Parts: sequence; C-alpha cells; structure tokens
Amino acid sequence: MLLDINAYVGHWPFKQLKYNTCNTLLERMNKYGVDISVVSNLNGIFYKNTQSANEELFDEINAGRRFRDRFIPFAIINPIYAGWKDDLETCITEMGMKGIRIYPLYHDYELTDPACIELVEMVRDRDLTVALTLRIVDSRQRSWMDLEKEWELKDIVPIIREVPDAKYMILNVANSTRLTDEEMDLLKKADIVFDTSGRSMNKLGELLSIYGKNKFAFGTHSPILDYLTGLLRIESLRDTEANNETKELFRSGNARRILGI
Amino acid sequence: MASKINRRKFFKDTAISATGMMLTSNLLGCNPERESEKSSYELMKEVKKYRKLDAHAHVYLSPDSDPEVVIDFADRLGIEKLCVSRPITNYSGTEPEDPEQVRESNDLVIKAVKQYPDRLIGFLTLNPVYPKESLEEIDRCVDLGMAGYKGYTQVKINDPLYFPIIEKFINLKMIMLMHGFCQLGLGGYRMKYDIGEAPNTSIPEDFVDAAKRYPEAMFQFAHIGGGADWEYECKLFKDYPNIYVDTSGSNNEEKMIDFAVKYLGENRLFYGSDGSYYQGVGKILASNLNESQKEKIFFDNYNNILKKGGNGVA
Repeated sequence: MLLDINAYVGHWPFKQLKYNTCNTLLERMNKYGVDISVVSNLNGIFYKNTQSANEELFDEINAGRRFRDRFIPFAIINPIYAGWKDDLETCITEMGMKGIRIYPLYHDYELTDPACIELVEMVRDRDLTVALTLRIVDSRQRSWMDLEKEWELKDIVPIIREVPDAKYMILNVANSTRLTDEEMDLLKKADIVFDTSGRSMNKLGELLSIYGKNKFAFGTHSPILDYLTGLLRIESLRDTEANNETKELFRSGNARRILGI
Repeated sequence: MASKINRRKFFKDTAISATGMMLTSNLLGCNPERESEKSSYELMKEVKKYRKLDAHAHVYLSPDSDPEVVIDFADRLGIEKLCVSRPITNYSGTEPEDPEQVRESNDLVIKAVKQYPDRLIGFLTLNPVYPKESLEEIDRCVDLGMAGYKGYTQVKINDPLYFPIIEKFINLKMIMLMHGFCQLGLGGYRMKYDIGEAPNTSIPEDFVDAAKRYPEAMFQFAHIGGGADWEYECKLFKDYPNIYVDTSGSNNEEKMIDFAVKYLGENRLFYGSDGSYYQGVGKILASNLNESQKEKIFFDNYNNILKKGGNGVA
C-alpha cells in the first residue's frame, strides 16, 4: 500500500497549479499506484478564516464516494483567529478530519504562541496529528507578495519541546537538518514522521541511520512538487540501506501508525 | 456546565458526524473498485527504462560531489554518463581566481574523468577576466578530451571579455553551459532589493543579448530548477533557438517540465541534476511528456549537441 501524507487541493495565488482538485489528484494517484492521500486545502493558507477552506475540502471530498474512500482530510487551523476552537471541533467531529496542518509564518504567529500550544495540546488530546510544513514553495522564485522566510528543521523544535507527547508530521524538509544533540534527542523520542518530499531527504539513507526506520513516510507535496521524486527516494534505497520491510514502513506503515488507521 | 442541545441540532449533527466518519471508514479495507482504478506503476522499472546523460553535474565542489559519490548516485538511478565540471564558485570580488586556480580546477575534472572514463565527460571552466590565458586553457583542456564549457559568475555571458571565448567555442562546435539566475532583485523585473548574488551573475536577458550577437553559438542556461523563476526564463528564451536549458536543480515543481516544453519545444531541454539526482529524474518521469520526448530529454538532445563537437556517446 502507498499512502501519501503530504498532498493538497486548492490554489496557490502566485502560480497556476495542475492536479489541484480531488478529481485530478485521484487521477494522479491511480496513475502512479497511490492508495490514499492525506489532503488539505491550500486556500486555507490564504483565507483569513481558514474554516471556509476546510468546508470547501469537506464538500469536495463528499461529492463522491470514490473520494471519501481515498482521501484523509486534514484541517487548516489558525489559532489566533476568532472561533478556532469551534472550527477544530467541527472539523474533527463533523467532518471526520484526522489531523491539522498549521502555517504560523503565513498566519503571522509564533509556534510557541500560547494559542498555538493550546491547539497542539487539544489535537494531542484527541489522539490526532499535527503537521508542520517547512516551506510551501522555494522562496528563491517566490512572488513579490509571498514570504521570504522558510523554516529549517531546528525552527520547529520549540513546539515539540512544548508538547513532546503530541504526534507530528514534518513535511517538505527542504533546508538544513542540523540540530544540537539535545534537539535531535527530542525528535528521536517524539512520535514524528518526516515525509520524503523535501530536498533534504536526498540523504534519506543517512537520516535513516540517525533517526531509525519508524520516522519516515512517503510524501509528494503535490501538486506543488512533482509526484514521483518523494517516492523515488524510497524505492531507490538499496537493500543494505532499507530492506523491503523497512520500505513498507515508508510506503504506508509509519503513516498508518501515526494516523491510527 | 451541561451543554444544551435541541432535537433538530442533535439529528443534524448526528447525520453530519456519520458523514464525517464515512470519510475514513473504507480507507484500509478491501476495495475492489480502488484496485481496478489503480495502475501497477513500477517506478524503478520506469527509471531504468531510459538512457540518461546528465548535462549538468559537478565533481569536487563538495564532499557530496566526490567522483565516487557521483557515480554511486548515477548507479542508483541508471545515469549512464555525466558531464562534469568544477567551476570556481567562491567568487567574492576580492579573491583573484587567477589562471593557476582555473587550471587546478580543470585538472581535478581531468583526474575524475580518468578515474571513470566510461561514465564522466569533462567540461572546462575559465575566468574570462584573463583573456589570453583563457584561450590557452581552452586549447589545453580540449586536447585532453574535454567536451564543453561551464562558466560561473566571474563575468557576465554578454560581457565583451566573453566574445573571443564564445567565438572559440563556435569554432569547436561545443556548447557553453553558463550559470544563470532570475529571481526578485535579479532579473528583468522587480529590482527591489539585494539578494546577495554575485554582481556579475548572468540573468536571462544577458543570455538573450549574447545569443542575438552570436546566433551560431550554443548557450545552455543552467538549471531551470535551480531556484529561479523558470516560467520567466522559458518565456524569455522562447524565440532564441540557440539558447538551451537544462532541467537540473533542487526545485522540482510539478509543472516545470511541461511548461518548458510548451515554450521551448522538445529539442531544447536537457536532463540534468546539478547534484539533485532524485529531483532530476523524478520531475521528468512525472511530466506529461510521451516516451519519445522523455528519451530526447534524458539523453538524445544532449548527445546530439556533444556529437557536433565530436564527443557523442555511442
């Protein structure tokens, strides 16, 4: 089974995307043999009221049973915007969302903002997952209206330090993965998975020897990045680096563990 | 405090909640419909299907580009040959990068090619600030089997210092691979702030200028996946058939290859990695190109260029 933990539908305001609807994403999945995708609505990064994006996603997935059977929706929550606790509750209990993705750089708050910590704790208490994306696009070619800053791996450590017993997905790891020994120890102990879409995963073999086989999961960052590079990093691992059992963990096992499915 | 809920709200919420639960209820079970929709795509079989000639690779730029490491990646991904160079990339404006440094750099490439003669093809670098020595270095390196040029940011590609070098490569029928960039503050638009690029970095407009002056020369704009604005680049190069692009770089955006073919055609793109081996292969495989187009971009297009200079791959 192949389970992609890092996909989106929706629009990016600065560049036209392809394959950015449930229908076209599903075509992509079928073409390349992907069973299930964890999906959020990119529009939620730009809507001030992110719940509108969550509702759009819910409606789109519910437009067909074939979508409901193949997509796991993650809500986008902005914990400094009015009504976010109600939104979270609605997303979990009424829309069946299995986790959240948060975007502090785009929504203009710190990861250690008390509201963000409270959000992560609430998600933890529901036994769901928090996804942190280190960058959406390569900022070197960004629009003049887009963010200049991207996260390095060390930038997401503070929230893991604050809520070490939550479950995390670390997505599109595109910059430095350097950490202090203390930071690395924290990540090793936490229930996290890194997806394989980011360019820093070019050293997957090395990272595997540092973090162990339970910390990585297939991700595409579709439709922004190409659909196959994240999978190629897994499938081209040699037997000496990862046997088929370990590759199965990357293809779906680790994702299923953290998603509780 | 107990929450209050009326009958209508109870039934509405219950119905919605049941729908929500349905979203994930059938994910893992046996699903014949899903299995019939899904193809059995074998990625590594697809990877190995295409001959690959890497039009933009390096040796000895970092520990990750030691020849052994390069060949290891190439073996992993079925890359048959790589055109490798070692441009001097630490240009600060204060370091001389004299002809001796340039020779040492090229000697490292020659050493790597000798180590892996069946896998690596050498490209030479220069510092055009030294015109006489540059022309002599071209002769030396071509005599030693090098097949093309790789320039960096010492001098812009349309600077008069480059003219005798371009003319030399026209005579040799060899391509000139040149670092280029195009982003906020560096390109033909939105010159808003300093982004820290070397002041003589060639921008797309510089390539167009050189291509118009020398229509018989072959220019290879480096790495449309190198982090720059690839839509801008491809649109600007559309009408200049002697500007080619390589697809290398760490940025592997989904639309990049299809967009480049739309604007440049299928003959002006070369597969390349520039050290980003997975992205280099992945973005072409994931494109909408047909098999013949993929064969051209992975191998044939660049081989046709190398053949012109007598360095084609059999």
